[in-house]
Amino acid sequence: MAVIKTLDLEKIYNSTHVPVKALNKVNLEIEKGEFTAIVGPSGSGKTTLLNIVGGLDKPTAGKVFIDDEEINTMKDNKLINFRLRNIGFVFQSYNLIPVLTAKENVSFIMLLQKKSKKEMDRRAEELLREVGMADKFDVRPNKLSGGQQQRVAVARALASRPKFILADEPTANLDTASAFNLLDIMARLNREEHITLIFSTHDQRVIERARRVITLVDGAISKDEQFNQ
Amino acid sequence: MKLLLKISWRNVWRNKARSIVFILAIGFGLWGGIFATALMKGMIDQQFNSSIRNLVSHIQIHHPEFIKEKESTYTITRAEEISSMLDGNSKVNAHAERTVVSGMLANASFTSGVEIYGINAEQEKLTISLEESLVEGDYFESVSRNPILLGHTLADKMKISPGNRIILTFQDLNGDITSAAFRVSGIYRTSNSLNDERKVYVLQDDLAVLLDGYGIINEIAILLNELDETNAFRDELQGLFPQYEIRSWAQLSPDLSFMNEFTGMMLLILISIILFALAFGLLNTMLMTIFERTRELGVLLSVGMSKVRVFSMILLETTFLVITGSVFGTLIGALTVALTQQKGIDLSPFGAEAFSDFGFDAVIHPTLDQVFYLNLAILVLITSLLASVYPAYKALKLNPAEAVRKE
Ligand SMILES: Nc1ncnc2c1ncn2[C@@H]1O[C@H](COP(=O)(O)OP(=O)(O)OP(=O)(O)O)[C@@H](O)[C@H]1O
Ligand SMILES: [Mg+2]
Repeated sequence: MAVIKTLDLEKIYNSTHVPVKALNKVNLEIEKGEFTAIVGPSGSGKTTLLNIVGGLDKPTAGKVFIDDEEINTMKDNKLINFRLRNIGFVFQSYNLIPVLTAKENVSFIMLLQKKSKKEMDRRAEELLREVGMADKFDVRPNKLSGGQQQRVAVARALASRPKFILADEPTANLDTASAFNLLDIMARLNREEHITLIFSTHDQRVIERARRVITLVDGAISKDEQFNQ
Repeated sequence: MKLLLKISWRNVWRNKARSIVFILAIGFGLWGGIFATALMKGMIDQQFNSSIRNLVSHIQIHHPEFIKEKESTYTITRAEEISSMLDGNSKVNAHAERTVVSGMLANASFTSGVEIYGINAEQEKLTISLEESLVEGDYFESVSRNPILLGHTLADKMKISPGNRIILTFQDLNGDITSAAFRVSGIYRTSNSLNDERKVYVLQDDLAVLLDGYGIINEIAILLNELDETNAFRDELQGLFPQYEIRSWAQLSPDLSFMNEFTGMMLLILISIILFALAFGLLNTMLMTIFERTRELGVLLSVGMSKVRVFSMILLETTFLVITGSVFGTLIGALTVALTQQKGIDLSPFGAEAFSDFGFDAVIHPTLDQVFYLNLAILVLITSLLASVYPAYKALKLNPAEAVRKE
């Protein structure tokens, strides 16, 4: 069963005087345990697709199902709660709450889920260790490098035990070494813990880490390739 | 919840300069407001008290016609009965029975219309603290025959000093015009210069001889132990002596009761202005904060922080900001009031005459009740909550997809 399924997704932005069709009849299925890259030139609709799949934005037409539950018709408040329970997000930058330490940033998500303090502490530390941030529990984001911040963001995204993680250009602001390091962590999480990961990028260096690459051109899927590593 | 508090508190200190400016602004605003209020209240309380203590007392009794016609023939015939009733009442601090006659006062150069009060010297010492009000001369002592006390305004105007002789002219009870010589024993001064120009005090027995009638009482003034008992006691007296017009200080001197209410209103206006400024300062600060943090708020909404939580976070942030500022302002305000209350603030360099012309003392003792601080705290909190609703609402209206795209 597909964890994500979209049906004829369409998104038209009307905010400019010429309407922009950012997504055009996108039909997509993503299975549990996949590690998928969404690629395509700038403006091809990658962010738009991830936002709609993640329930941050509504499609103009079409449907989105997460584990067979239709999310595009959900009311705002229900959707926020749904995101909290089911989806992990990693954004391009400024992911973290600047006034909280690395550990607090990770705990924060569990706090919203009303987890006990003990479990919060234990899991936050475990996740930070997993992304190689064992020595930075009490450091605030502004004292971390871009790559370290993104790793904390991945730990935070994992904290809620989501069905999948969406990462929109997570390496865009990183140097090559940090970018590879982040992707390696993501690949390992996928391989060893069967975390479902979808990330967008136009960074050729990191595409090959993915096991499936979906190419968008002008808001439509133009290629969908599987690789077996 | 603890983490939410932590986030909000730390957010307050993120833009240190802005928060400090805001905190100082509320702080000094409140400080100024509190001090100005205390000063005004001190000034008005003082005048109010001296008006009661030296002029009107709490309650006065007259014959109803006397109030209209001002003729000494309208007397309080049950004065003795009233007097002994007052003597035996524990609510009464002091009382005085007076003869009141309108007349003319003249010396070699000037004449002036006056109200001649025939008084019992001992009674008035207690009822209107007349002896304490003397600024020159003595209390009927240095003059053996027909002593008189004048107000300082009248004495200045007519260039009279203690020891001078003056002539009083008025109608006696038979309707005949009578004149007599008096010698000034003392000059008094109250907070009301108009009063001091009109009222002169002579001994009741001296006046009785000239009026051709003893035991003529036109006015009874009563000083109670407690201001709050005025109305109840007035009603009680009125029930016992229905034929007389018995009035409380508020009825006798509407401006005094107006002043009392007016103070409350002025204080409210003053505080409202401060709160208004506070509200706009806060609105501005919080809107700027939210504008700068659009992306961050977008991330919070994206990862699943509920709108109620985002809303509370912003309300908490403003509350922290406001509480810090108002605690600071209230502390220095209360401290300033406490420090100046005892000694008072001497405003005489700014014109002691001008103050006394309006019935104010030049040394002001700032004062405030505990209740004021409590009310102020409540008002500040309500205002800041109201002012932060709009920014918090703005934060709720953020579309997470657009907010996270912002660079
Ligand atoms: N809020 C918006 N209003 C109007 N047009 C928009 C808006 N957001 C995106 N677009 C347009 O929709 C199209 C798709 O944008 P999107 O950001 O999804 O592309 P992208 O593939 O993520 O690009 P990039 O690689 O530059 O991040 C673009 O033409 C963009 O200009
Ligand atoms: Mg994009």
